[in-house]
Amino acid sequence: MVATQTGENAMPAALEGVRVLHVPHLMTLMAGRLLANLGADVLLLEPPGGAAARRIPPFLHRDPSPHGSLPFLFATTSHRSITLDLAHRDALPLLRRLLGTCQIVLTGGDRAEIEALARLGLDPEAALAEHPHLVWIRVTGFGMDGPHADWLCPDLIGVAMSGIMSLAGYLDRAPTMPPWGQGYVATGMRAAEGAMLALRVAETTGEGQIVDVAMQEALSMAQETAMQYWDMRRELRKRQGSASLLPGVGTYPCADGYVYTMIGIPGFGAPWPVMVQWMAEEGKAEDLTEPEWQQLLTSMDLRTVTGLLAQPAALAEIKPKFDHVEQVLLRFFASHDKTYLYEEGQKRRLLIGPVNSAKDLVENRQLNARGWYQRVLHPERGEEVVYPGPPFRLMKTPWRITRRPPLIGEHNAEIWGGEFGLTPAQIAALAGSGTI
Amino acid sequence: MGTQKRLPLAGIRVADFSWFGAGPIPAQLMAHFGAEVIRIESEAHMDGLRTTMPVPPGKEGPNVSGFYNNFNASKLSFTLNMSNPRAREIALDLLKICDVFIENYTPRVMEKWGLTYKDVVQVRPDIIYANLPMQGSWGPHRDFLGFGGVLAPVTGFTYLSGWPDRIPTGLGTNYPDYVVNPGHAFVAILAALRHRDRTGEGQQVEIAQIESTVSALGPYVMEYANNGDIPERNGNRIGWAAPHGAFPAKGDDRWCVITVFTDAQWDALRAAMGDPDWAKQEKFATLLGRKQHEDELEEHLSAWTRTLTAEEIADLLQARGVPAGIVQTAEDVLDKDPHLKARNFYQYLDHPEAGRTAYDGIPVRLSKTPGRIASPAPLLGQHNDYVLNDLLDLPEERLAELLVEQVVF
Repeated sequence: MVATQTGENAMPAALEGVRVLHVPHLMTLMAGRLLANLGADVLLLEPPGGAAARRIPPFLHRDPSPHGSLPFLFATTSHRSITLDLAHRDALPLLRRLLGTCQIVLTGGDRAEIEALARLGLDPEAALAEHPHLVWIRVTGFGMDGPHADWLCPDLIGVAMSGIMSLAGYLDRAPTMPPWGQGYVATGMRAAEGAMLALRVAETTGEGQIVDVAMQEALSMAQETAMQYWDMRRELRKRQGSASLLPGVGTYPCADGYVYTMIGIPGFGAPWPVMVQWMAEEGKAEDLTEPEWQQLLTSMDLRTVTGLLAQPAALAEIKPKFDHVEQVLLRFFASHDKTYLYEEGQKRRLLIGPVNSAKDLVENRQLNARGWYQRVLHPERGEEVVYPGPPFRLMKTPWRITRRPPLIGEHNAEIWGGEFGLTPAQIAALAGSGTI
Repeated sequence: MGTQKRLPLAGIRVADFSWFGAGPIPAQLMAHFGAEVIRIESEAHMDGLRTTMPVPPGKEGPNVSGFYNNFNASKLSFTLNMSNPRAREIALDLLKICDVFIENYTPRVMEKWGLTYKDVVQVRPDIIYANLPMQGSWGPHRDFLGFGGVLAPVTGFTYLSGWPDRIPTGLGTNYPDYVVNPGHAFVAILAALRHRDRTGEGQQVEIAQIESTVSALGPYVMEYANNGDIPERNGNRIGWAAPHGAFPAKGDDRWCVITVFTDAQWDALRAAMGDPDWAKQEKFATLLGRKQHEDELEEHLSAWTRTLTAEEIADLLQARGVPAGIVQTAEDVLDKDPHLKARNFYQYLDHPEAGRTAYDGIPVRLSKTPGRIASPAPLLGQHNDYVLNDLLDLPEERLAELLVEQVVF
């Protein structure tokens, strides 16, 4: 069903023997993805109508089906799905039996949601009392305690409260968020990190524990140096827009979009003369090949550059010259596509990166040469769906997609019947009553 | 806190040959959870971050950068000059007693140093060898340069962030280096450790930064690959909520964020604003209506938010069940946020040269075996004696040689 490299299906899985009960929430999805495609037996526990996380756009072929949410599909390959309405009395004994078969329980949401789950029977303290080896993960916006623990935390809120958002955008407008969902990516990552750590403890000592992740904290490291600038120097790092102080350093328009370049920064790729040479080969170097400009551009060594950056007056004086160099560069970029500038520039060891769109990424030569994208058959659709491939490559226990994302409750018969021994009549009763 | 329990990674030794962010950060998390993590670095090819801003005013040298220090707490430092061919033997001796190896240079560097997986597995057959090359260790772009701000544009992050009518400037940081790539690396290394514990088998783990980073935009690439639609940046808006954005608050460059996903939240927001006439208009009563008139909605909302501080707005709205927050700065998170303070998230440690400085706390809390920051970032070469004498048990004459020949340097 899956286009993977030959022989991979025969290789062992890193998380063999680990069962995860995944109560899906946007906050938990990335963790589920990481654990499931490493070979854990991850069971989605959904309400009979399907998890709320199945409603998030965009949708496969723009069809708003709970089986077509791309964020949900992306994250739930290699999962199975069972349904259970915890408010039904019949659900509780089934849940208890289920917990007894699990090593990890993965839950997330705002604190009120977590507490509601606990009241319905997904209570870590009670579960750990009965199954002391369990690793119980709670992913929230702000953690389970503290003055803001009750705050609602959709992605934008956590991202803003973490400090990272203040670093992005233009000073004359509001700061801008990263591509939507990075708060959820961070919580999922941290949940997976915690799961692996706690699993290691549980498997060596038999002792389980609770793992708490807060989005605000999960993202903190992405402040880069802002925290340290304030702590050490009481200087506040702010968003900087696109102003570039040196020619060839910044984001520039090109024929089909933008490129980001760092040309002539000592230690960061080839120096300016290499860029001029390239432009000259195409007859587009204009007057930069003349001695006056050659002299200026070859003088851009580390001392000169750092000196200029430290002296606004010197920088202002040389600005008209820098502007001219940039104008020539801009005309050169305008005559080429970003992929050409990227591949040709990098061949010459110039630090150039295209501002890639999703289309550019899907067409990216490197990712495709490495067979990164995976085509997964969806028999119910009669088509293959394209998924991103491995975020890491373990050579002996490879990441792999073992099944396409499950339909809602697709594995009820398999789990409740096949594994737990409920009869077809019992399963029908549970389904008819809305328990599953 | 409870009795001292054995930390999850106690007994694991990591040779951290990496630099900058993507390698050192997962290694640091391992160190916080009990691993002995040795940074192998050199004055001959020093981690650029050691001499990068910010540094405390008046201080200089390789030990006072906040950029370096925040990624390298709980670790040891051993200087080994890998451009000296005689260093290789020492490196391999050390690797014999290590469980994990981490590096994030371009592939050529490990080849030059003679520390590829093939080399290391000779001395330590069950090594977990984690490499984080930007483009992967093979493929047509394998040797492309990836320093500085190139990763975010290449991986699609820049395109998707910012305003549709302006040059996309990205996230303002080398974002993928700090949570996404370290996270993937950490999970992969721990997965490999589990396999080794069960089978005795080590392995190579390649985390190609381009692959790891694009994974964080999975649904976006799926949208193009399957629907042929190219997702575009749109400020702070999303398609299924309104309002959803950042709004100006009272004060200099202060902003709040407000999101409304449900009818109840809209009604609560209206009430919080004192039920103004503009908000009563039918056209704002529904999500589709608010999306259709989103510019006007945001203008009205901004007029209200400008009258209050971001803190007041966040408190007021959250108390009424409307998701809201402050676009916090570093000053906010360190000095003002009462929640982070109550949770002791940022940790202040005494560093021998940098002084008492703040470190990121541990972003994942385990109830029985919590991690801890064992020590501030190490001075360059601080643990040379320990590594040479205690770990490698080298004789005196050899030690002198290594110093004189600038192998240990």
